[in-house]
Amino acid sequence: MDFGFTPEQEALRREVRDFIAEHLTAEIVEELEGLTEGFGVSRSVGRGPLVSRLFDEIAKRGWLGISYPKEYGGQDGDRITQYIVEEEFARVGIAVGLAGSGAPAILAAGTEEQKRAFIPKLISGEYSFALGFTEPQAGADLASLQCRAVRDGDDYVINGQKMYTSAAHTATHVYLMARTDTAVPKHQGISIFLVPMDTPGLTVRPLWTIQNEPRAPLGTTYGAYRTNETFFDDVRVPKTTLLGKENEGWGVGSMGLNLDRVGAARYLISVRRDEDIVNWVKTNRFDGYSPADDPAIRDKIAELWIEAQVCRLMTMRSMSIVEHGGHFTYEGAAEKIWAPEHGVRTSEAITQMLGPYGQLLNGSPYAVEKGIFAHNLMGAFQSGINHGSVQVMRDQVARRGLGLPSARRAGRPEAGR
Amino acid sequence: MNLLLTDEEKMLRHTAREFLEAECPTTLVRAMETDPLGYPPALWRKTAELGWQGMALPETYGGQDLPLVYLGIIMQEVGRAVAPLPLLGTVVAALTIASDATPAQREAILPGVVRGDTVLTWAFTEQDPRFRPDTVQTRAVVDGDHLVINGTKLFVDHFTAADHCLVACRTAAGSGHAGLSLVLVDTKAPGISTTPLVTLAKDKQCAVVFDDVRVPRANVIGRLGEGGPIVERMLDRATVLLCAQMLGATRKDAEMAIDYSKYRVAFGQPIGALQSIQHICADMIVWIDGGELLTYEALWKMDQGLPAGIEVSQAKAFCNEKCEAVVRFSQMIHGGIGFMMEFDLHLWFRRVSAWAMRLGTSYEHRARIAHALIDSPGTVVLGRPVPVVVAV
Repeated sequence: MDFGFTPEQEALRREVRDFIAEHLTAEIVEELEGLTEGFGVSRSVGRGPLVSRLFDEIAKRGWLGISYPKEYGGQDGDRITQYIVEEEFARVGIAVGLAGSGAPAILAAGTEEQKRAFIPKLISGEYSFALGFTEPQAGADLASLQCRAVRDGDDYVINGQKMYTSAAHTATHVYLMARTDTAVPKHQGISIFLVPMDTPGLTVRPLWTIQNEPRAPLGTTYGAYRTNETFFDDVRVPKTTLLGKENEGWGVGSMGLNLDRVGAARYLISVRRDEDIVNWVKTNRFDGYSPADDPAIRDKIAELWIEAQVCRLMTMRSMSIVEHGGHFTYEGAAEKIWAPEHGVRTSEAITQMLGPYGQLLNGSPYAVEKGIFAHNLMGAFQSGINHGSVQVMRDQVARRGLGLPSARRAGRPEAGR
Repeated sequence: MNLLLTDEEKMLRHTAREFLEAECPTTLVRAMETDPLGYPPALWRKTAELGWQGMALPETYGGQDLPLVYLGIIMQEVGRAVAPLPLLGTVVAALTIASDATPAQREAILPGVVRGDTVLTWAFTEQDPRFRPDTVQTRAVVDGDHLVINGTKLFVDHFTAADHCLVACRTAAGSGHAGLSLVLVDTKAPGISTTPLVTLAKDKQCAVVFDDVRVPRANVIGRLGEGGPIVERMLDRATVLLCAQMLGATRKDAEMAIDYSKYRVAFGQPIGALQSIQHICADMIVWIDGGELLTYEALWKMDQGLPAGIEVSQAKAFCNEKCEAVVRFSQMIHGGIGFMMEFDLHLWFRRVSAWAMRLGTSYEHRARIAHALIDSPGTVVLGRPVPVVVAV
């Protein structure tokens, strides 16, 4: 076991920190926070002029797509180095990694043509995906999805509705999971398509969340992402948009979800408020009262800090599996239980430490840290719901990790409809 | 960075597990609960042949000079088998002698430890149960070439089986670290009397009274009155290795519950098919994994010579609560059979529960973490070292 980073990796971390200290100016933060509709702070969906320039600077240093092959626009670097860059940027609310981008799945399952078409442009930020998985009647039970893709000559024709297609209004493509066979058990009739958003018949309608407060400060969990519902009405796409083989989309999609869970961003959104509250407690006094002297607060802060370390270490373990060629049985799911639930516990505990100040939103007189703790209380639990709820993750740990049997269920539909 | 076990580490774990599964059945564990000596000398010698006692000791004295991470793997397996061995006390005292004693002191003690001829222990806690140095009231007064020790130590492991004991004494007036000395004491020295304690784990702890016990002054480890940091390092090593032992026992305990839930049928299906049971099992494994990650990070930092006190406290505070919760849930999944004396599960439950009470409560370890986080200047960043704050 080795919990350390190489001197080169440590040097890179310092370089990234220095870069952020120099380039993340108050003006850029203001631009980021001023964008109220789906800014999603990444290269592809953060189109303020200052943000665009910032990403040009990041790209110039070769920090995008580090772990991807050179032939597809990457740096042939290792995943741990990629992680270090992601972690430092995620800390300030900027996503530079390709986690959740569809790129890992395309690299693993795509044709040579697809790899060349997508990966360089995902790295450069020219392309981005919205995930088209969830449906009105298929969330945790994703395999029950009903969006249909029917083969018609060299094309597929898609009809259906997808929910929570975050950033679909700014994405260039949707990473779509659709049913291609209704006569087989539900997991066996699913395929993945890489569908351009400008295909006729595809419409996007915003869904506003409680995290999308117009003044949600940078760093609010999911405050930055506008989500949507997306409708497919006779959307015709060529068969070359199919990722992997027809009817094998469940495997491709599951692998993509596993890779999507790995990375700095997910754990950092769960633990960043721990740092904030410690630093707040250290420096704030109210007349004669200092929260730093309250034994209950001190005990709770230490408890949260320990939990946060477990989040960090579970992420490092997942990174180790990715980098050193292992395969996940339950470790990704374990991380996806622990970190989001910690995020909720810490958000709730912090509001108890702040008392009535905890309710003040950004812009309010007396707001603490731009109201981040209040904004975050509305977003923290979402992390335990999306991309596989913590309950579904527990099922995975129990069944895949521990080999416990599946439950008998009454009236379980065997086919997909 | 690679948090997965290397092939060599896996091999070490595998060998240790196979050895203890063959050599340490639960019949032996039960027998030692009522045995006056409390450990099987034959097994102790075999573990020495495998190199366990000397694993992290210097090669000069016959040891293997391997990292503490390796010793952690061994302690996990010892915990898994709930093996009644005086290993924790022996290696913790021996590591302290290796790092802080003079060459003559090392030469006198360590080769015997490596060979399996010598059992060591250490004594810190007194009447005041808190896990902090200002509770030490035992006095050691210089008298020519000797020290004269007076005081009472509680909760000393395997003292009657041990040949030597490292005793934390106050050699000068003071509180906290000030005036602390660590003294190597022959357990058979005149003036020592012991009273066995009857414990939940049915292990061999005792109260030790020192009544004008004369010890050569040459037996002080480090400089007289400057033993505070030595004691702190000793306690940190003891604590993190106890975490490893707890986690090994807890994982085995959880595995027993998970296996049981696969074949215990109720309502027409195995109870392990019920989500209420599955989700508890999932949590059990996630908690144990979390404890392991915290524990091995602390051990790894020690191996690198980095400050690791906060990491140790993170591990122990977490293990105290999560390991206890796991063994409790495991009892619950087993239902009535779980608390039958003839069923083995309680061997783990009683030990894990007892170990959670020792070497610092959750509150104390969290207080130490809070002190470092909150009472230090500057801001904290997760994943970067917390500022070192001198113990109070």
